[in-house]
Amino acid sequence: MRIFRIQGIIAVVVITILSFLISWISIDPIVEERLEYSASVANGALVEIDDFEISLVDLKIRWSRLQVANPENTMENSFETGEAELDFLFWPTLWERVIIEDVIFKEFRMDTERETDGYFEIPEEEKNKEPGFLTKVISDVTSEVSRNANMEFNNIKSDINVDSVLAKLDLQAPEKIDSLRNGLEQNYQKWDSTLTNTDINKEIASVQSTIQKINVKEIKDPKKAIEAIQNVQKLAKQVDSLRNRANQIKSEFQEDFGDTKFSIGRIDNWIEGDYQRAMNMAKLPRLDAQNIAQSLFGENMLADYAGYMEYLAIAREYSSRLAGDDKEKIERYEGIDYEFTDKYDWPKLWIQNIDVSGETKTAIKLAGQIAHISSDQKKTKEPITFNLSGSDDASRKMSLTGEINYLGEEPVESFNFTYDGFSLAGTKLSPSELLPYPMEQGVGEVSASVQIVDKRIDSEINYSAKNLAFNFDAVPSDDRIQQLIKDAVSSTDRIDVTALVDNVDGPLKVRIRSNIDDLFVNALKNTVSKEVDRARQRIEAEVRKEVEGRKEDIIAFKEQKEAEIRKEYEQLEARIQQELQKVEEKKAELEKKKKELEDSLKNKIKDKIGIDWE
Amino acid sequence: MFLILKYIAKLLKALASEASPNQLAGGFILGMIIGLTPVMSFHNLIILVLVLILKVNVGMVILAFLVFSGIAYLADPLFHDFGTYLLELEGMQSTYISMYDNEFWAITKFYNTVVIGSLTTAIILCVPMFPLTKVGVVQYRKHIHEKVMKTKLMKTLKGTKVYSIYQTAARLRG
Repeated sequence: MRIFRIQGIIAVVVITILSFLISWISIDPIVEERLEYSASVANGALVEIDDFEISLVDLKIRWSRLQVANPENTMENSFETGEAELDFLFWPTLWERVIIEDVIFKEFRMDTERETDGYFEIPEEEKNKEPGFLTKVISDVTSEVSRNANMEFNNIKSDINVDSVLAKLDLQAPEKIDSLRNGLEQNYQKWDSTLTNTDINKEIASVQSTIQKINVKEIKDPKKAIEAIQNVQKLAKQVDSLRNRANQIKSEFQEDFGDTKFSIGRIDNWIEGDYQRAMNMAKLPRLDAQNIAQSLFGENMLADYAGYMEYLAIAREYSSRLAGDDKEKIERYEGIDYEFTDKYDWPKLWIQNIDVSGETKTAIKLAGQIAHISSDQKKTKEPITFNLSGSDDASRKMSLTGEINYLGEEPVESFNFTYDGFSLAGTKLSPSELLPYPMEQGVGEVSASVQIVDKRIDSEINYSAKNLAFNFDAVPSDDRIQQLIKDAVSSTDRIDVTALVDNVDGPLKVRIRSNIDDLFVNALKNTVSKEVDRARQRIEAEVRKEVEGRKEDIIAFKEQKEAEIRKEYEQLEARIQQELQKVEEKKAELEKKKKELEDSLKNKIKDKIGIDWE
Repeated sequence: MFLILKYIAKLLKALASEASPNQLAGGFILGMIIGLTPVMSFHNLIILVLVLILKVNVGMVILAFLVFSGIAYLADPLFHDFGTYLLELEGMQSTYISMYDNEFWAITKFYNTVVIGSLTTAIILCVPMFPLTKVGVVQYRKHIHEKVMKTKLMKTLKGTKVYSIYQTAARLRG
């Protein structure tokens, strides 16, 4: 025992016991607090865990209640669970990995009320920077919902009052055309003044005067002739420069009027804009099958669709927040880890199986599994899958299945939802006043499927109402159209509606069709559609009448002014050309005179000294 | 400050005559292992336990740790190269695989190039360093200790209030 230190051994034992006791006492609240914080950041609203407990002996985590607040309504929980128990693996925790083999969520309930506000202030550094792809889809679909809600059929049931629409409509095209004309006028004045007051005219006059002053007959000396030629050459250069300046003015003018701000072509767009605004005010529907279906069922179907997509967006958001944290950071001189096998190639978080049981807000008992939630599917080699289903005593059935698969090159998410067997008695099939009758009896079925590959979405919602009987007496009406609609829908006891939302071939498209579209179109075609077409033509004619004269007037004005400016320019150009010609003539005349004087001088010398210089 | 002075004083005292050269050399090689290898490693927890339960000089452990930490900072790239060589040895692959599959060995992080490179280097260095330290201690006591105690630094250190409090406390404890 000489080499051992007794106090040291005691210290090691005491430290070990103390560490164990401290972790035993304090680990639960520390882990609970961290879990609640991280989950609240991910959720965007408070996540609360009650009676959290970690057992290191049997490797279990338990809690008595979990509440996940709804970020859109913080006085409500998106869902909550009762008692839950998780089995986790010990060894991965030493590698800072959490692998949970089994989770049991009992008493799973959705949309429950909260006793306290679930608002959570997300710290600035934790905020998500850009909205996800599904948020954009939801926004597009929501705007489609409001468009459908605005599509009213009031007007087609009574006389369409085009005069009232036109009285309310403030036409913008005439004002814009007047403004364009003023702009053109000011600009033409500017160019007229530029051409009239240009220095070019003065310089032409000066050149003209200088040329006239050169009297060739008076030149008797070859030296004087050479001087005069040099002066004329300078004048030629000056005139050439004048021609360049004139060209410059011409190109600037053309550029100015080629500019879009003076483009007459825009007038048609203004007229079209006024026409469209008039049509929007008149709210004249297009009576084709697509628009009928959108008007009848679009608002409800697309609102439901947006609701489903919000849930998917949350699921997608959670998946994406979990993923992407597993990139290994190799710092300088920390060395490299060799992986001899893939045994420790765990993701940071892997919940292998969750057994869920509970009930929906509408009291359908649901049970099922969610499998392989992980922070890195490439490591688990398993996609997230879920399969929940249930029914109630009244034969209503619900099921939700899906897969979030990030194993391939492109992320693929697919979801399927069905809900059938629910009673339609006493409900209305559509918020549209075209179909205001409540149902006496009927059974409904909804199924939705969504497939998302990267940022391409392909989704479909089917709605079926079977064994239908409308209570036409609940909304009595002598209206001719209502009678036609009654006749049309009473001939069927089943309505099937399909909404398709996809961006597979380009921008997001929303289409809704139903089996009663054609019945409605046929009922309305012979009566209302003629009325609608007449109204449309009248509105178009009225709008065009208001602006048509102005358009022709401005075109004529523009052509006239352009012709005037062009004429002024051509005159200027002709003057320059004329002057240039005079300069050239004068130069030739001087050259000739110079030659004559030189020849005369040579002859005189020859006569005097008898030598021929040539 | 007091703790550092305490251990410096203890170390000087131990170097002078109190501790056996074996205790000093043992402390030196344990401190050297901690200093040369990444501190937050599982094997260093074992070394720390050994420091506590074995009669080694703690002052020497700290001194060696400080000195070799500085050396390790510069030598880490060499440890990485050495570790890479060790981990890629053909004949060792099956051993490494079975060790890697065993969780206990895996938590030692032997599969990290710097860990295995520095730990192997430290263990190899233990063989010459243990006797060399012992010889060094004997030589220090014989030739250098007196000179060290006469240096200005030691005189200044002895003159500090903290040192005198420590000396008094040490005398009272016996």
